[in-house]
Amino acid sequence: MDMAQKVSAETAPGTTPGATPDTTNVLIVGVGGQGVIMVSRVMARIGQLQGFDVKQSEVHGMAKRGGVVFSHVRFGPTVWSPTIPRGKADILLALEWAEGLRWLNYLKKGSGTFIADTRHIVPPFACLDRTRGAKLGYLAEPPGVVLDQVADGYALDATALASALGNHRVSNTVLLGTLSVVIGFAPEIWQKAIAEMVPPRTVEVNLKAFEAGRRWAAAARENPESAREHTLRKPAVLPELEARDFELRITPEWCKGCDICVKMCPERCLSLNALNIVELTEPDRCTGCRICEWLCPDFAIDVIKTLPETASR
Amino acid sequence: MDEISADSFNIRDYLRLELFPHFLCPGCGHGIALRALLWAIHELGIDKNDLAIVSGIGCSGRTGAYIDANTFHVTHGRPLAFATGLALARPDLEVVVITGDGDCLAIGGNHLIHACRRNLNLTCMMLNNEVYGMTGGQASPTTSATRYTTTTQSGSIEPVFDACALAAAAGAGFVGREVTIQTPALKNLLRDAIAHKGFSFVEVLSDCTEIFGRKNDLGESPEMIMTQKSTMRPASYGVVGGNIVDEPFRATNLKTGILTRTDRPEYGAAYRAHAAGIRAARKS
Repeated sequence: MDMAQKVSAETAPGTTPGATPDTTNVLIVGVGGQGVIMVSRVMARIGQLQGFDVKQSEVHGMAKRGGVVFSHVRFGPTVWSPTIPRGKADILLALEWAEGLRWLNYLKKGSGTFIADTRHIVPPFACLDRTRGAKLGYLAEPPGVVLDQVADGYALDATALASALGNHRVSNTVLLGTLSVVIGFAPEIWQKAIAEMVPPRTVEVNLKAFEAGRRWAAAARENPESAREHTLRKPAVLPELEARDFELRITPEWCKGCDICVKMCPERCLSLNALNIVELTEPDRCTGCRICEWLCPDFAIDVIKTLPETASR
Repeated sequence: MDEISADSFNIRDYLRLELFPHFLCPGCGHGIALRALLWAIHELGIDKNDLAIVSGIGCSGRTGAYIDANTFHVTHGRPLAFATGLALARPDLEVVVITGDGDCLAIGGNHLIHACRRNLNLTCMMLNNEVYGMTGGQASPTTSATRYTTTTQSGSIEPVFDACALAAAAGAGFVGREVTIQTPALKNLLRDAIAHKGFSFVEVLSDCTEIFGRKNDLGESPEMIMTQKSTMRPASYGVVGGNIVDEPFRATNLKTGILTRTDRPEYGAAYRAHAAGIRAARKS
């Protein structure tokens, strides 16, 4: 009978197995180098300062720019498990837009809060097509479309706010400011935790960033329409490149067919013809990297920049 | 930096186009080294009229003739001797010597050590392809142990010169080594060498596909330049813990870049100061 009661309590809506119902689950995601771990440490510290039981677990390490980093922070009167089950996060804080969307299924349906930086960090696997002006494999939906799918959503260009303060790296603290408005607790406690966690030289700019994030969130709560307008703009995917700005000039009468350029070309766009003379057989794949020019012992290949300002030199 | 200078650098401005295509075999690394040298000269902004290229005999010496500057094609092994006279008489010129491993280390070995000793403001680019290519593929002082040439029909057993160690020990102010496959790095090294006031010695590890690589089963030119820093360069001795020991093969971590850089007094300036002192003493 005891067992049955426990099972029903665990499966009741709004609760998480292995935790008391009033546990708060914060999932923080981003890519390497953004400060996901710093944000989660501040969050955990605040839980401690409030007298809660706190558990935190993270995946990091492949964290050179582009690697995925996430951190689970859970706090409440008693917390048993350190990880947040799928669909049970109260707050999903994304330091990078696509990472936020990748983890959306962890957010509680109907009551979860989604906070994300709209800035894109395009991962290497989204640029496998290396031709100029190629489409990136990065989502194209504007943030507003995503915000319509969640109960409560905040999408802000935290990197721009941080850059305005003079250090784009404090964008994670801007998001902490927004998070503080959503979670509550006194701002002084947040400031104390941030000052503890960041390098001493950057305390001042981090506190400014925290205030900027708070101000943005407060304004967004007061006037949701203006905040939405900000989020409805087109995502800042890399601009379409102009027509190629270089030209590969081959001097066939100088080529001796040594095969160096053909073998060394990273894009495999050169080959030798029937006369053993080099030809550009895949002109679309050529990126103008100059390796063939540099390694041709016979000066038979020139990469010529054709942009007006460089052509005049 | 590389990108910008690469954009503005047109090698045809520095070549005697009427002589092209050049005489070097397909895949010869000397052409790549020549590009790096001209690129370095372009980056330093040296006027072609202020540039003097002195080269000896051999495939390496012949490359100097393709440069559209003051070029001086001299006897076998003696480019450093001629260049010493030129640099002393015309300190306003930027004198660059192009020489090969046989030209520089065997026939001109004595000129090399004395040029290093004097530390005159010269740049010596030694193209090391381990063989006398032009004369038919004889073994040179840098032909590695076990390699086949026309004069080592059953494999060379002679120890080789480490040209950079030799130059540094003889007193060269600037010593560096680079492989041709790293063209921008080679360009940077040559640029620093030419800018250095004093004797600069740069060993360029080049490849000889036709005469040397084919005999030794080292593959075609792409394979040869890919292995420049590893299998292609065995050494017969090295310094371990202060003792010279035999090493059958050099490890793959062959040191490249600037190896030695000292500010010894430059001989040309010392010579002119000395001469001016004597002249003043005679007048008084």
